[in-house]
Amino acid sequence: MAKKTRSVEVNGRQIRLRPERYSWSDFFMALPAVLLLVLTTYYPIAKLINISFTDWRLTSRTYEYVGLKNWIWLFTSKTSTKYLLNSIKVTLIYTFFNIAIDLGLGLVLAHLFNRLTKPYGAMRALIFMPRYIAMSTCGIIFLWMFNTDYGVINRMLEWAGVQNHINWLGDGKLALTSILILTGWHGVGYSMMIYLSALLGISRDYYEASSLDGATPLQQFRYITLPLLSPTSLFLFITTFISSMKVYQSVDVMTGGGPRQQTEVMVYYIYRLAFDDNRIDRASVVALLFFVVLLIVTASTMRITNKNVHYEA
Amino acid sequence: MMKKLTKHRRLPRIGLIVRTAAAVMITVVMVFPLFWMLSTSLKTESEVMGSTLVFWPSVPQLENFTYVINKVPFFRYMLNTAVVTAMQMASELLLGIMAAYAFSKGRFRGKHLLFIVVLGAMMIPLQVTFIPLYIMVAQVGMMSTYWGIWIAGAVSSYTIFLLRQAFMGVDDSYIEAAQVDGMSKLGILFKIMVPMCKPTVITVALTAFMNGWNNYFWPKVIVKEQNMYLLTVGIQKLRTSYGGEVTNNYHQIMAGVLLSVIPVFIVFAIFQKHMLSGFTKAAMK
Repeated sequence: MAKKTRSVEVNGRQIRLRPERYSWSDFFMALPAVLLLVLTTYYPIAKLINISFTDWRLTSRTYEYVGLKNWIWLFTSKTSTKYLLNSIKVTLIYTFFNIAIDLGLGLVLAHLFNRLTKPYGAMRALIFMPRYIAMSTCGIIFLWMFNTDYGVINRMLEWAGVQNHINWLGDGKLALTSILILTGWHGVGYSMMIYLSALLGISRDYYEASSLDGATPLQQFRYITLPLLSPTSLFLFITTFISSMKVYQSVDVMTGGGPRQQTEVMVYYIYRLAFDDNRIDRASVVALLFFVVLLIVTASTMRITNKNVHYEA
Repeated sequence: MMKKLTKHRRLPRIGLIVRTAAAVMITVVMVFPLFWMLSTSLKTESEVMGSTLVFWPSVPQLENFTYVINKVPFFRYMLNTAVVTAMQMASELLLGIMAAYAFSKGRFRGKHLLFIVVLGAMMIPLQVTFIPLYIMVAQVGMMSTYWGIWIAGAVSSYTIFLLRQAFMGVDDSYIEAAQVDGMSKLGILFKIMVPMCKPTVITVALTAFMNGWNNYFWPKVIVKEQNMYLLTVGIQKLRTSYGGEVTNNYHQIMAGVLLSVIPVFIVFAIFQKHMLSGFTKAAMK
């Protein structure tokens, strides 16, 4: 009745007219959001490309086009390639271990806390809690716990017999580990909850049938749980990958990229070029490279993993 | 018979004890940093930097909190954060709901193309665009203003995507019935679509709240005036509150940290069920 299909009779045949399909009001409902998105994402990307061909400094109002100078600087200058390669390396190491911690530990915790009783529910809520606090704020708490002289971690290690206080954030290798501990603590509750809700969605029948066939719990995990969790793992992998590549807050609060650039991740490097060195021209080149890397790796991981994902029938 | 049953039961029970012990231990480790924040915020300076480790202060000190409130414009920071968060929640939800309706139930030319534009925006993070965005905001003179902070989180393609998924699940017959009754588009939107998709709307609203309250990167870039700092950036300044030097006045810093996270925990306590189920639901989409 509400359908507005009209029809006319032509030469004794019913011919349906196209219903009134298009509505301008629908279009205008979508428009504000789309315009704002274009203004805050697409236009800045275009502007970023534009800046990458200029010699714009943060402090100056004018600029000139210098062609590919910044791109040549990016790939040939010694300081650039040194810092660039370093930041890529640090970012990838961080990303690798952060994904390993979030997914690995998250899966273990999901199994451990997979009991639908009230105490377990309360414990799950507590483990999820760090997620609600800003990473920068959590960073201050960990900065205090990792403090060399008075930090609780070194003091507890003292009881365990480690008399020399460890310089958690001043030592190159340890600094990144400390950051990984912070971000792992912050994020593992989330992956645990995601894995848990996926575990609850797996039918008990699979386990019952396989145990009748004599499958061990380990075999069940390997051949039932893991394959059926693969869509969840893929989702977590991609989201954790993207968020790890964009890591900034924890590094900014904990180490400020130091010691000697050993925790300088890509976003931090871009920020340093733009706001400490005032070289937004160079920063925009690095930002564009970062963007391309992000796009390529995201697209290819989606492709590769899509083939190996099992979807529940 | 009885004996056999209890004997059979004992083994899983030991397993459960071991498991619960492990679960409790992990929970304790995970909660410890938050406990340490609370405990430190109540200590005196000598308890923080003394030669022995103090787990809980002998006399809890509340003066650390008054120190923080007097040392930095703490309530101003909180007000700034609340204002920007409210602005972002309002625009993100309003624009998101409207766009989600258009993309799920609407009919207009270029619908698919525009939706691809929305989805594509998800691939362009702020960490890539912050330099041009900074210049744009500076050129229109919105540095260190609420609008300048707001713009970077004014609309979220993820919100549009999630709401669209939910709206698509609403049967067309409800909308048609409302149209027959002469209800306007906005009426349909806010009297039918939103109430019918309440769980998703609440999830999206809570996520927007969390993102606003915990926002750090962009406010740090765009706010140069101390009075306009958001809480996340403002409390970082506590670390250098003694003449710019990095200091170990952690009893006071932790008091500031604790005060800044209280609103989040209040929301967390009220909406705990929604938040946990909402987060996982969002992931399953």
